[in-house]
Amino acid sequence: MNVLVLSGYGINCENETLHAFEVVGFKGKIIHINDLIQNPKQLNNYQVFAIPGGFSYGDDTGSGNAMAKKIMTNLYDQLTDFSLKDKLIIGICNGCQILINLGLVPSLNKKDPEVALIENKSGSYECRWVDVKVSNNKSPWLKNISTLNLPVAHQEGQFMIPINVLKSIKANDLIGLQYINHRKKLAKGQFPFNPNGSKDDIAALTNQNGNVLAMMPHPERAFYNYHIPNWQSKTIKKFGDGYKIFMNAKKFFA
Amino acid sequence: MTNTIQILSIEKTGKESSLQKEHNNKSIKIIDGYFFSRNLDDQKFTKISKLISNDISQTILTKKNVNKVLSSYSNFNWVVEIKFLPGVTDNVATTVKEIIKDNLKSSFKSFELGSTKIILIKGRKKDITKISKNEANPLIQTIKIYPFKKYLNNFKKNQFKIEKVKLPKKKYSKKEINLDISDYHLSLIGKLGIEENDKSRRGTLGLDLESLKAIRNYFSTIKRKPTDVEIETLAQTWSEHCKHKIFSAKIDDIHEGIFKKYIKGATEKIIQLRKDNFCVSLFTDNAGGIEFNKDWIICHKVETHNTPSALDPFGGAITGIVGVNRDCLGFGKGAKPIANTYAYYLADPNKNYQLYRQKNNKDPMLPANFIAKGIISGVRVGGNCSGIPTPQGNVYFDDRFAGKPLVFCGTVGIIPKKIKGKLSHKKKANPGDIILMAGGRVGKDGIHGATFSSEELDPNSPVSAVQIGDPITQKKMSDVIIRELRDENLYSSITDNGAGGLSSSIGEMAKESGGFIVNLEKIPLKYNGLYPWEIWVSESQERMTLAVPPANVKKVIKRFNARGVEATIIGKFIKKEKAIVKYNKTEILNLDMEFLHEGYPKLNLKTSFPKIKKEKKKIIKKSSLIDKLHKLLSSPNIVSKEFIATQYDHEVQATSIIKPLQGEGRVFGNATAIKPLFSDEKSIALSQAAYPQYAETNPYDMAGCSIDTAYKNLIVSGANSKKIAILDNFCWCSSDEPDRLYQLKEAAKACYDYAVAYQTPFISGKDSMFNDFKGFDKTGKSIKISIPPTLLISSIGLVDKISHLTKITPDDGDILLVLGVTRNELQDSVYSKIIGYEKSKNPVVNSKDALRTYRNFEKANKLGIINSAIGIDLGGLGIAVTKMAIASKKGLAIDLKLKNKFSVDQFLFSETQSRILVSMKKNKLANFKKIFKASDYTIIGKCTGSDVIEFKENKKIMRGKISDFAKSYKQNIKGL
Repeated sequence: MNVLVLSGYGINCENETLHAFEVVGFKGKIIHINDLIQNPKQLNNYQVFAIPGGFSYGDDTGSGNAMAKKIMTNLYDQLTDFSLKDKLIIGICNGCQILINLGLVPSLNKKDPEVALIENKSGSYECRWVDVKVSNNKSPWLKNISTLNLPVAHQEGQFMIPINVLKSIKANDLIGLQYINHRKKLAKGQFPFNPNGSKDDIAALTNQNGNVLAMMPHPERAFYNYHIPNWQSKTIKKFGDGYKIFMNAKKFFA
Repeated sequence: MTNTIQILSIEKTGKESSLQKEHNNKSIKIIDGYFFSRNLDDQKFTKISKLISNDISQTILTKKNVNKVLSSYSNFNWVVEIKFLPGVTDNVATTVKEIIKDNLKSSFKSFELGSTKIILIKGRKKDITKISKNEANPLIQTIKIYPFKKYLNNFKKNQFKIEKVKLPKKKYSKKEINLDISDYHLSLIGKLGIEENDKSRRGTLGLDLESLKAIRNYFSTIKRKPTDVEIETLAQTWSEHCKHKIFSAKIDDIHEGIFKKYIKGATEKIIQLRKDNFCVSLFTDNAGGIEFNKDWIICHKVETHNTPSALDPFGGAITGIVGVNRDCLGFGKGAKPIANTYAYYLADPNKNYQLYRQKNNKDPMLPANFIAKGIISGVRVGGNCSGIPTPQGNVYFDDRFAGKPLVFCGTVGIIPKKIKGKLSHKKKANPGDIILMAGGRVGKDGIHGATFSSEELDPNSPVSAVQIGDPITQKKMSDVIIRELRDENLYSSITDNGAGGLSSSIGEMAKESGGFIVNLEKIPLKYNGLYPWEIWVSESQERMTLAVPPANVKKVIKRFNARGVEATIIGKFIKKEKAIVKYNKTEILNLDMEFLHEGYPKLNLKTSFPKIKKEKKKIIKKSSLIDKLHKLLSSPNIVSKEFIATQYDHEVQATSIIKPLQGEGRVFGNATAIKPLFSDEKSIALSQAAYPQYAETNPYDMAGCSIDTAYKNLIVSGANSKKIAILDNFCWCSSDEPDRLYQLKEAAKACYDYAVAYQTPFISGKDSMFNDFKGFDKTGKSIKISIPPTLLISSIGLVDKISHLTKITPDDGDILLVLGVTRNELQDSVYSKIIGYEKSKNPVVNSKDALRTYRNFEKANKLGIINSAIGIDLGGLGIAVTKMAIASKKGLAIDLKLKNKFSVDQFLFSETQSRILVSMKKNKLANFKKIFKASDYTIIGKCTGSDVIEFKENKKIMRGKISDFAKSYKQNIKGL
């Protein structure tokens, strides 16, 4: 099992993302996008493609846009092929924004992006921990998980979805994660439970097959128990909730 | 055909909402504009606009739809167009150019573009003027206000313009400067700069008459006239900013100067006493290094960026943070930045100070809230975009920062001890090594930055002194250095380009080899038309200088280029101790290295005892204890800084282990911790402290309190007392006045005494000596505002085991104790400022007592006796108790058994240092008593788990609801 973790141009969570995959049993490599463009065939050596969080191109022209355009220009076919195989793709935070801008998620009909991620309703960057529930058990990434406690850290994490697209998303069961409140009910847009005002409290979407997951929260930052806020007051265990996502990737290939 | 692409968001953006709220006007819309230097045909327009916009969330304006689209939002009638002045860093434009070049390949080569913010409103002209004042800074941006009709017309007639940098074409000929002139004319060169042929002056050199005379003497011995480049270089190298002349001067009877005697002296004494490997690299490098574990070193550095942040708060602060990140990259062979720290000392953002740099209400200081907001966002963008967590910081407000804000930015880095078998903290540029400049290009940014930050802010402060950092260019460069070059040992030395630019970085590095030869024409420029001296001293950001053995040069350049980073050969290091600079083969600088670095006249300073400025009397208003607690909790220096913590990414790198917001109730903590390696449970605890409010009463005690608090916060968090190092950042005022120098000497003396007592070496430090504003108030009266002397002590410590890390939240049934003795020390306290002045003493640290408390605490914590702990500082015990309750959301009952004739207020709000509030299970008390003797602690109450805090004084009980306290504590700071 090999994972390719993308880097370059301001992506910045590659080390911890690779670490999380390695701990659950993957072999992996951080590869700079320019090297991948030089030699796209190396994608064949990998079963998982991960786009980590970060600030590619400083979020200029919209978060994830510039990097998505670079991939579209240079790697689009190869990445689409990858997504159509029995392989997994994950985009976390900035990676999520890139996948959405590439249109690989939700990928209902057309090649173009169908949803957008816009600025948080609060107008400010939000680095805070949230609770999400898994809304779709289809995706191999999310199997057998009910809720997760994870951090978000973004300026543009609000899903904006045209009504007809939202209908299809729901009909096809493509909502991956939704923000919930302290009573474990949907946040209904209420801050800070829903940190960005996202439509229908959406925190993650998948493609039709469920093998491509675009999620705003950061599972790799909730990997160990000591990542969790106020862990001293909680029961002692080794891993945090983020671990489950990476384990699911391992189970998929096991 | 069109020359602009303009995009607007379909739904209201967060920024639009906040503008609408701020200006109480629902008809405000923002357009992202891009102005091109040439017309785009329809095909290119469509293609490019698709590349830089989002189909779902945005609309692209065209000549055809502009009227209809905009009228669907409102009947706008005014427009403000904000764009960068030519030559100012425009990061968005850089990204757009890259996207276009990558996508259109060769079909659209040479073009210029600028990003623009266009704000539309329906309202009066004075409304749009007000908006423009809040959204733009005339120092770096052009602001055009015009009617909406004209906007539509501009759109139709392609009249959006981009201004390029237009520098007069000048042919450089070597300029020699005659120094055989009168003292008066000589001092004019120092104050106003070198005279150009047209009699204009280049801007201050910050050289005093004595220094100019030293230069004159040097050149008369070598029998020639100096060139302009030589004088500019000497001015940079000898600036207060680079040479720290005041800290190295003879002061009264201290011949070696206060740095050598008190700061370095303390560290040397400590190293001599401790005989371990904790201190690795001190004072010589860009940052100070200590041992982390057997394989790794960590380094820490804190810088200030005060003057630039007064002129352009956003640009100044972002440059401050990415600049100190480079100090880390320039530590040893290059350390990876793993945490940022910040501390801001600001004027009240809710006040309108109306200060002017010139008479008749001309050249106004930026409003206090504009400065505060700009600084906070500058560090946000710099840190977040670089992928470096920013867990630790604080903000303090005082009117005396109205003329000059203090912006401290720090970075912690990590580096393996050995790289390919060689010690990583040792570096040496060898003779024959190539000088390579990597990263951004050179423009007029920050010309004279080093010399002017050493001077007071007055009307002659040059505007080209403003830089704006570009974190993404730096991130790209940093990734290549840390991941691809360093571990292969491809270069022999590295340093950053900060103040003084190449003249400083190469000048410093060349000490390792002997000297250098640089060819200035090789240096890549942002635009043509720079004079050689400008290239040499420019402070354009995101550049590192490397010394590369000739055999590796090709490989190194190739690696940089493959990641989209420019790298250029600009000269070589030589053995001969000469500094040589050429421009198109003409030699324009040739100085002895010895004179360059040591030729400046040493100062001889005298101090005198200052008149103590007494705190003004303010009548104490009668109110209940609970009311007083609310007033203190909501006062700006105690109120939660959560809004900063949540906008600074402190989770990136997945190292955050003690977060800035602590407990379920999210209290802004005094210390934070990161665990930098997945393979080791050892953590790094960070904190900092400064007490400018104590400085005028007693600068010695002020410094003692700063060191004590910075140290205490780490002990309380669980750090190993033997593994704590500190950093000193002195921000002083009027350092040419004997009474200010007296305060400086006293503070430095305290640094020695307390650092030696606590065994905490100073590993790095910096000073900024002239934080004064000279100008005019709104009536035209000339005024001077000096900051209170401010000594920021940053502390960095190691926590051996995760289980040693503490929490601030007690559990039901815990008993509460105060460790350490409380004295009546309300002088200069938050209480005396907010509630009313009480004649009292200022806080004084007794290091012997303090250390006993700290050692015992450490012991008890390791034995698992302590359940929760919080350091007691601003607002005293009363505030510490309240914070514990807010954090845990658990009620506390405090029994005020007052000793020593204390009043309730004295007991609860005194700011006596070296105290810790702790909680523990009742059954641990016996073991606790084996460690602490009875006179070293007081049992003050217990955790009840209810929803109130209650204070019992004899039979009287005062209660306050935790949720109400939390509300006061989490109030917004007015004006922010």
